[in-house]
Amino acid sequence: MNTSIVGKNLRKVDGVKLVTGAPAFTDDIQMPGMLYGKILASPHAHARIRRIDAGRAKALPGVHAVLTHEDVPRIPHTTAGQAWPEPSPYDTYLLDSKVRFVGDRVAAVAAESRAIAEKALRLIDVEYEILPAVLDMEQAMASGASIIHDEPDSKNIYDARHNVAAHIFREIGNVDEGFREADFVFEREYRTQRQQHAMLEPHITICWLDADGRLVIRSSTQVPYHCRRQVAMILGIPVGRVHVIKPRIGGGFGGKQEMLLEDLCGALTLATRRPVKIEYTREEEFYMARSRHPQILRLKMGVKRDGTVVASHLKVLATTGAYGSHASTVQGNTGSKVLPLYRAPHLRFECDVVYTNTPVAGAFRGYGCPQGFFAQESLVDEIAQKLGIDPLDFRRKNAIRQGDIDKLSAQLGEGKEGLPRVIRSCGLPECLTRAAAAIEWDLKRHLLPERGGVVRHGIGMACAMQGSGIAGIDWASAFLKMNEDGSFCLQVGSADVGGGADTVLAQIAAETLGVTLDKIIIMSGDTDFTPFDTGAYASSTTIITGGAVKKAAEKVRAQILNLAAKMLETTAENLACGNNEVFAKGPSRKSVSVADVALQALYKEKLQIMDAASHFNTDSPPPFAVTFAEVAVDTQTGKVRVDRLVTAVDPGTAINPIQAEGQVEGAVTQGLGFALTEELMLDEKGRPANPNFLDYKIFSAKDMPKLTTILVETEEPLGPFGAKSVSEVPINAVAPAIANAIFHAAGVRICKLPIRPEEMLRALCERDREHEQEEALVTK
Amino acid sequence: MKTMPLAVTVNGVARQWTIRPGELLLDVLRREGFFGVKRGCEQGECGACTVLLNGKAVNSCLIFAGHVEGSEILTIEGLAAGDDLDPLQQAFLDHGAVQCGFCAPGMILAAKALLDRQPDPTEEQVREALSGNYCRCTGYRKPVEAVLAAAGKKRGVSRRNHGEVAR
Amino acid sequence: MFDQVEQYCRPESVRDALRLLDRSKGHAQVVAGGTDLVVEGGLSVRVLIDLTRAGLTYIRRRESLCLIGATTTLSEIGQSTVIRGLAGGLLTQAATACGSVQIRNLATLGGNLAHGSPAADMTPALLALEASVVIANDKRHKMPLVDYLQRSPHMGHSLLVEVMVPEPPHGARTGWSFQKFGRTEVDISLVSVAAGLQLDARARVKWARLALGAVAPLPFRAGAVEQMMAGQLFDQTLLARVGEQITRDVQPISDLRATAEFRRELSRVVAGRALEACAAQAGLTL
Repeated sequence: MNTSIVGKNLRKVDGVKLVTGAPAFTDDIQMPGMLYGKILASPHAHARIRRIDAGRAKALPGVHAVLTHEDVPRIPHTTAGQAWPEPSPYDTYLLDSKVRFVGDRVAAVAAESRAIAEKALRLIDVEYEILPAVLDMEQAMASGASIIHDEPDSKNIYDARHNVAAHIFREIGNVDEGFREADFVFEREYRTQRQQHAMLEPHITICWLDADGRLVIRSSTQVPYHCRRQVAMILGIPVGRVHVIKPRIGGGFGGKQEMLLEDLCGALTLATRRPVKIEYTREEEFYMARSRHPQILRLKMGVKRDGTVVASHLKVLATTGAYGSHASTVQGNTGSKVLPLYRAPHLRFECDVVYTNTPVAGAFRGYGCPQGFFAQESLVDEIAQKLGIDPLDFRRKNAIRQGDIDKLSAQLGEGKEGLPRVIRSCGLPECLTRAAAAIEWDLKRHLLPERGGVVRHGIGMACAMQGSGIAGIDWASAFLKMNEDGSFCLQVGSADVGGGADTVLAQIAAETLGVTLDKIIIMSGDTDFTPFDTGAYASSTTIITGGAVKKAAEKVRAQILNLAAKMLETTAENLACGNNEVFAKGPSRKSVSVADVALQALYKEKLQIMDAASHFNTDSPPPFAVTFAEVAVDTQTGKVRVDRLVTAVDPGTAINPIQAEGQVEGAVTQGLGFALTEELMLDEKGRPANPNFLDYKIFSAKDMPKLTTILVETEEPLGPFGAKSVSEVPINAVAPAIANAIFHAAGVRICKLPIRPEEMLRALCERDREHEQEEALVTK
Repeated sequence: MKTMPLAVTVNGVARQWTIRPGELLLDVLRREGFFGVKRGCEQGECGACTVLLNGKAVNSCLIFAGHVEGSEILTIEGLAAGDDLDPLQQAFLDHGAVQCGFCAPGMILAAKALLDRQPDPTEEQVREALSGNYCRCTGYRKPVEAVLAAAGKKRGVSRRNHGEVAR
Repeated sequence: MFDQVEQYCRPESVRDALRLLDRSKGHAQVVAGGTDLVVEGGLSVRVLIDLTRAGLTYIRRRESLCLIGATTTLSEIGQSTVIRGLAGGLLTQAATACGSVQIRNLATLGGNLAHGSPAADMTPALLALEASVVIANDKRHKMPLVDYLQRSPHMGHSLLVEVMVPEPPHGARTGWSFQKFGRTEVDISLVSVAAGLQLDARARVKWARLALGAVAPLPFRAGAVEQMMAGQLFDQTLLARVGEQITRDVQPISDLRATAEFRRELSRVVAGRALEACAAQAGLTL
């Protein structure tokens, strides 16, 4: 591909303001008269609010408003940042007379200082009728279990009486027949934990009324448009009277694909007529925001003697916590993005997503895939080992390939019938080869386990795919106008969460227009000034918003060429753009600068060169990722140290390779935490036990293995300049690669995450006991 | 409400502020417009609030403002000289070490404290110096490379990074 | 939040600090680095007494003693050549294992000891070196660290002002080691061990010192183990016996970080590794 901007490691367009600490984030403003909002959180996992009296709180000097369920409208909704009509249950209320998890909203206060707000919370009198709590997802559907959503007005709950938020059943072919055809059938259960995003900037929203009395919401959000729609509905004001502004965001990873604080903050602003800020403390962020759905996965795979996979049956029990945000869609992904990685003709996916009185789950990088690939890639490793087949050969034999059609995704769209998926680009085979070479797979596979001793070394691998945008649902638009100095204002509704989307989109525009990157001034995520975009999720921004940007830029380029043709007395077909110039293709070497064309347009032709475009895809081309891990297992302490992690990713074209690498490296680091250290734990009363960084352990710079990142570029026809996506897929294969490496090192299969030293040590001791028994039997 | 005066030099400029006796340095700095000092956890764990206090990297969320009377504080806003970025800031930009940017000010300052004391650090020393700055976006690899590159540049040495690069 | 604080004082001498403490009649809180106090927050404190200007930041030698002022930071201890020269750098290892650079730049030795966390890393190292502390009220008096740790909470208006570390035993075939186990590299210890020993020419233990942290209500010296080791040949058999004894001596709790069972097992393993490291320094590798 012959490009001069796309495919280059250009500096982020917002980079300078970030490294100089310029005020760019939500909290980096001071608004006169701003009040501090705080939420009174439920101390109980499950209770009815029998009586709530805010009298003493309201009387405290400096308190401007106290809201309880008695003060606000009752509109069932979902907080999930999804396109309308959202596929998640409408089971949430601005404030309710029932609380369903420790941390649920009881009331909200706006006061002149943080200290006064916190004091006011303590003055709100609440009488709770405590109800039995359902904390264990395996008990949620049992008859006699407390009904968490017994309210009559919630909608779209699969079976509220049995606490089932969503239920999924999909099959292609006939797995029972498939298992009969198989020579061997393997089955195992896997468990994954509640992982929290722990982005460095906690959730924060500031609301105020502008001079026209419109509600302005300045918020750290991935979904400005969904936010606007939902807040308008919940507060009963027209969408056109709400203005959402997304500044720089300090990390999201799906945690901000949610309308989380905006409705309540808006309600406090309406009640006080003052600017109000609600910002979560780190503690609140851990359990009052969102987290990854914990799952129990039962996977059964049938294979032929030669390793061909004939049937796969995945049964999942997941909990969505107290509310059903993203319940069906995350788990839908666990089936639709995971099972089709291997070309079995028979696939069945069934899933129950249950309510429990626990912190609410939501979108988190990978969106159901990390759980599913942990199960599938662990079981596949076991199958390969038992059949005596090299794990790489197993993948090569069975993995989906270019030209294939994935039928399962036709059944599992975003909550409704999806669209069949055609694989038009697939770099998986090359990813396998290059990553294996980088980590010296062949050598170490034989060498490492021979090194005995207290620390056992091993190497393992896994692969995965994801999607790029939600087929038929994610869409975006872009608006582009030319300034008189040859620069352009590019307005997109997307939300750069930190990964560099603004830069990538600007590169796409610059490349298409034939100008340098500095000529693109991009503004994103402002519902008044940028056109619609579903938002930053499902790895969609580069491919979908990028598609809209490319189209808009092509239209603007045509206008430029037309005018330049007039100026150069030739035809548009005879002209090309590059390096801020429009030039004739032939030997005449006539040219005019883009800036001159702009001046001509604005002041001579009285023409504003501008255009807009929208874009969506009817397919979701998968990026692919392969992770190889080299581990050292300390058999006396159980500590698993990852020494090397090699990841090869096929992102389609990397619009900005160094940023793409950065995404890979950040994703695998969250994958390391998912595999080894991170879990939001609850005590026996459903209270968060470790809502802080002291005890919720994420990787620091000192914990990191040596990372190798390999980009295997392919050209995807559906993506701008061939791009797919890169932001999610690299997280998916880390945990199984590590689990498989642990097996290679120490002969133990760990099926539960995270793999903490204590659990590793227990597993090793159990294995030793089993060996002793076996030896005892042999000697008899 | 009780207040007290605070005389402190921030980014080379002497300040005379009025604070409450129990106020924390992070809150005072942000209130006085130093938005580059970030609030990430308020428990001294994440390092987003890192500033240099008399040249040493500290968590401003753990320090009472009264403690810094008469001291010198450097925030990220004081690092660049007008439009001229510090080599560390340049390196972070050139090596793709900035994603969301929320941890960057703290991390850059922690790196500066290291390089001021140890101009030729090993990779291990860099990781140790950054161990109090959590980043959820980058996996730390490019920030470490950026610090090593900036160290080389400061010493006038052009140097390949230590980590393995493969494309 | 410290909204109710009315006064922030920075006394410039210990005497002034004590006077302030006395005058504030129980409404005052002493603060040095703030790394524990600020996190715990929510106190009904009216007066904060910042000790860091009271002349207590120093590391000195006085004859055979090493004196460390109470507001000396863990960073300063970690970078001190005087400290590095003591006991093979045992205190240096302990100081640099605590927390992050930012925390070490603030946290003080006195603050660490006064706060009394069972998992404080400096304490086992200081116990192994038989350190004492100097307490000041109307006069100064010295008490062994081990007694200070068990002090009554009503020590009244007195201040820990200094830590005194006596000259550690030294000579040929001596080794010291500090080791800890955490869930990640920057973590509170699940167990920390400070050990020292000396071997004779035939690999017999002349003396051993072993202190453990985070596995009992207070960090402690494993006296029974030390006695068991004296005069014995340093080999795997001895280490196995040591391990057994340690599992009997520790009193770990089960909490969200680890079960008691795991902590007990870790104590055995980490203590063994610390002793092996000491022996290696002493010239013996098993």
